[in-house]
Amino acid sequence: MRFNEKELVSLSRQPSEMAAELGMRGPKKGDVVKKRLVKLVVNFLFYFRTDEEEPIGALLLEQCRVEREDSQSFSIAFLDEAERKYLFECDSEEQCGEWVDSIVKASYEFMRKNLIFYRTEIHRLTGKDPLEQYGISDETRFQVNNGLQLTPRDTSSL
Amino acid sequence: MKFDEKVISYFESCTSPVDKEGYLSKKGEIKTSYHKRWCVLKGNLLFYKDRPADRDLTGVIVLEGCTVQLCESEEQFAFSLVWSDPGLRTYKFAAEDQASQESWIKALLSANHNYLTLLVMDLEKKYRDALVEFPNEPTNPFTMPNFNTAEAFQGAQSSAVPSFPAVPSFPAAGVAAGAGLSSNQMLQAPTLSSRSANKRSPKLWPKRSANVVPVNTPAAAVGEWLGVCLGTKNEFIQLHEDFGKEVKELIADWSKRGRGEEAAGVGNLIDFG
Repeated sequence: MRFNEKELVSLSRQPSEMAAELGMRGPKKGDVVKKRLVKLVVNFLFYFRTDEEEPIGALLLEQCRVEREDSQSFSIAFLDEAERKYLFECDSEEQCGEWVDSIVKASYEFMRKNLIFYRTEIHRLTGKDPLEQYGISDETRFQVNNGLQLTPRDTSSL
Repeated sequence: MKFDEKVISYFESCTSPVDKEGYLSKKGEIKTSYHKRWCVLKGNLLFYKDRPADRDLTGVIVLEGCTVQLCESEEQFAFSLVWSDPGLRTYKFAAEDQASQESWIKALLSANHNYLTLLVMDLEKKYRDALVEFPNEPTNPFTMPNFNTAEAFQGAQSSAVPSFPAVPSFPAAGVAAGAGLSSNQMLQAPTLSSRSANKRSPKLWPKRSANVVPVNTPAAAVGEWLGVCLGTKNEFIQLHEDFGKEVKELIADWSKRGRGEEAAGVGNLIDFG
């Protein structure tokens, strides 16, 4: 599968408020905790060897489970597979909380749900659809029942 | 750079919402001929494969840091994704018709993370204004699936930033149950006890989507969103106007080039009136 690696590397260089050296353990059996520069940029978590320019890898923060493991560490798991569970060790409980929080909120799906929630609530309270002002009321991605996919997807006519 | 293909593939094929999909001709990356590809846009990722039902993805393009432009091409209804850094490539596409071209351009322009971040911030503010304006409305226990008082918010409250629990008509977290709001986690932002509160609600996704992040309800205070947002635009409305100008310019440019008889279907586009 091809992906635009150079552009992702470029993305990893963007400034980010959530960038820190954390202990990181890979998902495979036998992986040990290593010090990594971990950086959150949009909905990607990049990890670098300290002082290296190019990230070792990128984790897409969608459809993943972020959990507190103990007071100072958290995990990110993909596909409910043990071989795809990454562990991160922070320096403090507070830092750990900040990371979990930021990662959860970085997901596109999370933001979409928030948007739908606010849209619905604003409409309920005020009678107005806040997206109308921007002319984007009809966009599929902002519809209330979007996540359920009760019918086979066919959005090719959009 | 490591990039887990299985995770990416899963995201494409799972039941999470699709923002747009359809056939586009894509200019080859090595050979220069155009190939018809089934393209799926989800969030800031554009997936492409040969046919809709294919399990194998040919590729994915992360849509961050690029703009969408019309381009010169032997193909009609062409557009390209352009990154500003030299050394970064341009992806060329051609749509089947003008309507599809416009629709894809619009969708791709607003696919980036920052757009949605700002839009959500904007709505959050409007929501808070609406709560102040209509304080006597009971809250709606919005039954979003996967309610979970994730510990995410534990460490994240700053007392200086006004947050939802401070709105007067809402009961404090401790007595929420009495008001019949126990299932509405929205109000219980910071003061939860740690582990016990993190039990997953029985109203969960079906097994397939059990990997969804334990989502808390959107009680994020403005300060928290600002901390997450990396954008250069301060307000969504500014971003939206710029975005609209870009689309208008693209369409005007397209018309000037003399392609197509009608002036672009401006009526389909965002109305700034």
